[in-house]
Amino acid sequence: MSLSHSRWLASLIGLLLAFPIVIGLVGTILPAFHYFPPLGEYQFSLTSWTKLFSQGEFHSSLKLTLITGIGAPILSLWLALSLLAWGYQKPIFAKLESLLAPILAIPHAAIAIGLLFLLSPSGWLVRIFSPWLTDFQRPPNWISVQDPYGLSLIFALIVKEMPYLLFVMLSSMKSIKARQSLEVGQALGYGRLTLWRKVLIPQLYPIIRLPLFIVIAFSLTVVDLALVIGPNTPSTLAVTLLRWFNDPDLAMRFVASAGAVILMLVIVFTLAGWEMSHKLLSLLTRAERSNGRRCGPSDYLLRFGAFLGQFTLLLSVVALLLLPIWSFAKRWRFPDALPSQWTLDNLSRAYPLLMELSTNTLTIATITTLLACGLSLLMLESKRQSAGTRHTRHIFDWLIYVPILLPQIGFLFGLHVLLIYLDLNGDLCAIIALHLMYVLPYVYLTLQGPYLAFNQSYLQQANRLNHQPLRNYFKIKLAMLKPPLFTAFAIGFSVSIAQYLPTLIAGEGRYSTLTTEAVAQAASGDRKQVGAMALLQALFPILVFWLAQSLPPRWTKWRLACKSLFLRLSPTTSQTQKDRQC
Amino acid sequence: MLSLKNFTLHNGSKKLIDNLSFDIENGQVLSIMGPSGIGKSSLLSYLSGTLAPQLSAQGEILLNQQPIHAKSIQSRKVGLLQQSPLLFPHMSILENLLFAIPEQMPKQQRAEQAHQALLKLGLADKACAMADQLSGGQQARVALLRTLLAQPDFLLLDEPFSKLDPALRRDVRAFVLAEIRDANIPALLVTHDTEDASAMQGNCLDLKPFHPANKA
Repeated sequence: MSLSHSRWLASLIGLLLAFPIVIGLVGTILPAFHYFPPLGEYQFSLTSWTKLFSQGEFHSSLKLTLITGIGAPILSLWLALSLLAWGYQKPIFAKLESLLAPILAIPHAAIAIGLLFLLSPSGWLVRIFSPWLTDFQRPPNWISVQDPYGLSLIFALIVKEMPYLLFVMLSSMKSIKARQSLEVGQALGYGRLTLWRKVLIPQLYPIIRLPLFIVIAFSLTVVDLALVIGPNTPSTLAVTLLRWFNDPDLAMRFVASAGAVILMLVIVFTLAGWEMSHKLLSLLTRAERSNGRRCGPSDYLLRFGAFLGQFTLLLSVVALLLLPIWSFAKRWRFPDALPSQWTLDNLSRAYPLLMELSTNTLTIATITTLLACGLSLLMLESKRQSAGTRHTRHIFDWLIYVPILLPQIGFLFGLHVLLIYLDLNGDLCAIIALHLMYVLPYVYLTLQGPYLAFNQSYLQQANRLNHQPLRNYFKIKLAMLKPPLFTAFAIGFSVSIAQYLPTLIAGEGRYSTLTTEAVAQAASGDRKQVGAMALLQALFPILVFWLAQSLPPRWTKWRLACKSLFLRLSPTTSQTQKDRQC
Repeated sequence: MLSLKNFTLHNGSKKLIDNLSFDIENGQVLSIMGPSGIGKSSLLSYLSGTLAPQLSAQGEILLNQQPIHAKSIQSRKVGLLQQSPLLFPHMSILENLLFAIPEQMPKQQRAEQAHQALLKLGLADKACAMADQLSGGQQARVALLRTLLAQPDFLLLDEPFSKLDPALRRDVRAFVLAEIRDANIPALLVTHDTEDASAMQGNCLDLKPFHPANKA
């Protein structure tokens, strides 16, 4: 690809990325000011704002959103940092690390359903202590999930966000020379946790700032997780807005749009407030860092956080194990800790539905992720070529984050209007296009490091030996980048499977996936069927992650074995060729 | 005096070093040389208490006749200088130096010590500069003084000159030797460069790959 081509392509992809963002924003902001031609509203007014502020539910939803949306990232960050400080380089930590990938791969809804099975009054946590300790013969009348304070939602968010932050931090350890800094610091007489607090965490923060912002925006705007395990009297703002957008009274759509603009502002102000708090904290602790004190009372905060972090990981694993148990349970009365009878009937009864949902889910996830991989490679090649000449930070690096930082609710409803104009609503292409907006950033970010670090000399040498640049690009560069490509595919695939709102809004109910159906049925009480759906929802990404880790190291060996077998079996192959293979 | 008695190092079932012993007097530098992978850096890790879990080692470490091999890294009072100066990038040069000075010292005295160190380095005007604003040689010197300000009982040097250009190397070597003599502590240098070893004006130990036949 020549440089001129690469610039042209970069501009085109930049436009493609910017277009839905602009449409989504315009489609949210204009109805907020009562301008919405599809409903015959051509006059700007502030009516929707006055209606919004007069809704009591808005204020209580906003309060709840702020509590859960800010509380969860703070706690997740504390636990992730504590776990890292406690366990980094310890052999047991390697075992904990191996738990991260499956938890990351599993969609939020599946985890939320698992937690529901674990924490609800008739959940497994109460069962194992009943009746011998609690004396309960019936489930207690507790509100341990969907509680009005959003505590169960905060916990579910932590279960999802803490492993993600830990994963991001672990991949940054080399760049801050953590091992060497710990050695030098400990040789100076510092305790391990003090070193993390004074030396490593301040260096780590700028690197994880962006993933942290993504976590904050996600916590403030999440819908599927909040629908399953969050409170509903009132619900979080995002869930309330979803209900208003779907209200049969179309006038509520204007109020919902105004609410969506507020949610965007909440994200902006929360991120600004977070950053200011960080600056203030850095300023206040700066003198303490170099006061020579080799240990401090705040080290206990990290120690306690590490304990809570391990406990959280343990509960996550138990919650995930409950999914298959419910799927195969025939008779499971309270307070039995395990089913008294097992069956395959739950799966066979749900087989036709599960087949349809799985087919839809896998088709959407596979096509979306393949498109995201292709687009990411184009974008990265374009970025690589322009990086040496002009920019250090490419336009893609700014645009790519916008969809994941904006609240899906509102933004997607804005895009839905465009889909209706284009007569694409309820179409598979529309679902894939909306999924792509959320899959692309993760695939791009996963591939970015390895792709840009690739030693171009291999490709240049290949082109000198055999001037077929495109063929060499695939057979040399992409072949050598197999491991990150497979990992990026697995991450994109799991992100696509987890999508709830994009499927719901673009599909208009005509295409259901395992995620949309699991969320819809979570409150139905049929734990066996919901368990089966959540199990499949969790199983597919884990399978793809496992393949992504297992295939690349064996790929060449298997490819050569297949080639050799093919040559042996082929009747047209000459004896000389066969001998060469031997 | 730092002494190592009957040091043996294994990587799994493979023996890397067999029965190594030495003494280093205060103010002296013992240089250890040998091919890559022979276990030189692992020897330093053993002395500092940070041996990788996949390696196993035995041997007695004595500091002024007192065994220290059972102590944690924090309580061994060991100074460690590596290839990279590892100045903390989020702290100024002054803060990096203050970080090393024990807290028990009065605040005024801590500031005075850090200031004296800066004067010695000729960097009094760079107290508030960040590490990346210093040259490679300046960073190496700051790293050494930071290590010595923690008042270690012995010093371990893991190829600390290898990233410096030849002219700078000469200056930094002389600076390091002078500081070690001034602090009057034993030091162990691991290097590939014979010039490094001879510049330290002490004994030199050339490690050979272990082979059972050698022992026989």
